[in-house]
Amino acid sequence: MHNRRSFMKLGAGMAAGAMMPMVASAKCGDEPTQWDSEHEVIIIGSGFAGLAAAVEAMRKGAKDVVVFEKMGVYGGNSTLNAGQACFAGTELQKKLGIKDSAELMVKDQLKSGRGIASETLLRHSAELGPYIYQMTKDCGCVYRDHIITTGGTSATRSHQVVERSGSGFIRPMLDTARKMGVKTHIRHKFEHLIRDAKGRVIGIKVRKGYHFGHEDSGEVISVKANRGVIIATGGFGYNINFRMAQDPTLTSEVGCTNAKGATGDGLIEMLAAGATPVHLAHIQSGPWASPDEGGFGYGAGFSLYNFPHSIAIDRNTGQRFMNEIADRKTRADLELQRRDQDGNPNPALLIAPKHEAKKDPSMHNVLKYNVAWEFDSVEAIAKHFNVPLAPLKQQIADWNGFVENGEDTQFGKRMDAGRGIKLTAPFIVQRLWPKVHYCQGGIQINTKAEVLAAKTGKPIPGLYAAGEVTGGIHGVSRLGGCSTPECMAFGVTAARSIMEA
Amino acid sequence: MKSTVTLFAATLALTLSFGAAAQNKRDYHMDVYDAGCKTCHDQGMKRFPSDEACLQCHSMDEVAKQTERHGEVARQNPHDSMHYGKEAPCQECHGEHTAKKALCQECHNFDYPKFK
Ligand SMILES: Cc1cc2nc3c(=O)[nH]c(=O)nc-3n(C[C@H](O)[C@H](O)[C@H](O)COP(=O)(O)OP(=O)(O)OC[C@H]3O[C@@H](n4cnc5c(N)ncnc54)[C@H](O)[C@@H]3O)c2cc1C
Repeated sequence: MHNRRSFMKLGAGMAAGAMMPMVASAKCGDEPTQWDSEHEVIIIGSGFAGLAAAVEAMRKGAKDVVVFEKMGVYGGNSTLNAGQACFAGTELQKKLGIKDSAELMVKDQLKSGRGIASETLLRHSAELGPYIYQMTKDCGCVYRDHIITTGGTSATRSHQVVERSGSGFIRPMLDTARKMGVKTHIRHKFEHLIRDAKGRVIGIKVRKGYHFGHEDSGEVISVKANRGVIIATGGFGYNINFRMAQDPTLTSEVGCTNAKGATGDGLIEMLAAGATPVHLAHIQSGPWASPDEGGFGYGAGFSLYNFPHSIAIDRNTGQRFMNEIADRKTRADLELQRRDQDGNPNPALLIAPKHEAKKDPSMHNVLKYNVAWEFDSVEAIAKHFNVPLAPLKQQIADWNGFVENGEDTQFGKRMDAGRGIKLTAPFIVQRLWPKVHYCQGGIQINTKAEVLAAKTGKPIPGLYAAGEVTGGIHGVSRLGGCSTPECMAFGVTAARSIMEA
Repeated sequence: MKSTVTLFAATLALTLSFGAAAQNKRDYHMDVYDAGCKTCHDQGMKRFPSDEACLQCHSMDEVAKQTERHGEVARQNPHDSMHYGKEAPCQECHGEHTAKKALCQECHNFDYPKFK
């Protein structure tokens, strides 16, 4: 412990500093009469896109790079992520005898993009995959030896860090960036772009000392960017008004897996600067989420593992209402329709057989943290959740018939996914309620990560963007594990472009 | 005019002292309260204290040790967590004048029985 005298001293010093007159700062869009500070490269946001850009800028010889993060902690959605990243053509894939290519990865993603994904941006990102994989390893990220098969892919390519969390990328990348000399600041909220008379982005206004939720906290300063500004502020999943404007079904009743700071600030400011919006209404909700914990928690992992061999039940009817392995959007929409007589949410029940569920470490966590519960019999489930017993019993019997016959005559679920596993007691039951997860839409960039103006279709000089704040890359639906590599690829690209410009 | 000002000042003083009374719940912070508001409010009374303010007396290593966990739950240590290491600033989870909860609890039902 420090002694009391030392806190008194610091207190006095800080108070004196705070009393210094504030430097006059400029109105939005005007060149300020005085800059409070300047940097060679300014990066906004400290997720995958921002940190990959920071590391790459240093690799390309930058001397003065700064990362501004508005929250009290670094890493945004990236550090909450499940640690999965799809790369095609890595050494690890070769070692495991997996044949894959950037071409094949693009093909898979185009399919899930349902005709509106950007082939050029997907290809650019997939081709940078092996570079990103190596770069993360150079930063000290450690991958598991096992590669995961994710939905919609024709080759096994989801590489995962040992932490099984995006923090396994963020922590080492943050350390590396700092060791290379990158300056990082929390509680700095980007508010506006500053442009010169010709429209070139020459700096930003940032609220220093910002505390999330207290919009007037801190003070606004003007910071000059000698080479340019990279916006890597992530998605807008947590901005309920903005997301409802795009998709009115995504009310506050729908939870969110994102970090609280995912409010679309960078996107909104770039729109104000005339950037081109793309696909803003394509917002993905996760049908694997639980209402009994916040965010992604542990429930997502549990239901992801168990969906193939389990059933989801409506509490009013005791019956299934969906194919439990349909695409994310189909399931999320159907789950949201589960209501009680008054129209209030009445989350569906995922009923899983314990004999299979116990094979995944997620079961231990959901039971321990009250996200799922164990029941010895169908009667016990019906009683606890107030589900009509007879239809529920019938449904389980019917389901086990589908397992036997290899055909789901109710919803057409692909029965080989369940590998013949029967639904028998004891059961593990988790409630299901979708949560907003990922924004496919954002502002438009090109393969140089330059932000394109809506008026001209040409780059806005000095302005670059990367990561979830950009849009149109994945089209209707992003495949699992495909955001991590794309955020980093365009972070790297933005850094290269800014250093070459 | 003068009386309005006096009244205003009196109300303000009352609010402040009421506020302070409501806040002084932590006996172990009595020393700090005695030393005056500016002890923590090092950036002026209208601002949040700096993230260094608490670290005048506490150190991250020390609090990380106090909340140490072992085995499979080791990284649930809020002062040295998997997601944020030892970098989560105190005010993200703790408030002297406002009720708060641990940042980890936004997504996980972790129990922090000694949380204050
Ligand atoms: C729970 C969860 C699990 C996921 N799992 C996976 C997975 O396993 N694989 C995969 O590929 N994808 C996954 N995704 C998606 C993927 O993680 C995200 O799309 C990705 O992390 C976005 O990275 P980013 O750098 O663009 O933004 P973020 O990581 O969100 O970073 C943006 C940062 O900018 C900050 N910021 C915002 N506004 C401002 C401002 N005005 N001023 C300063 N800073 C600002 C934010 O606070 C944030 O820290 C997951 C997403 C979530 C939420």
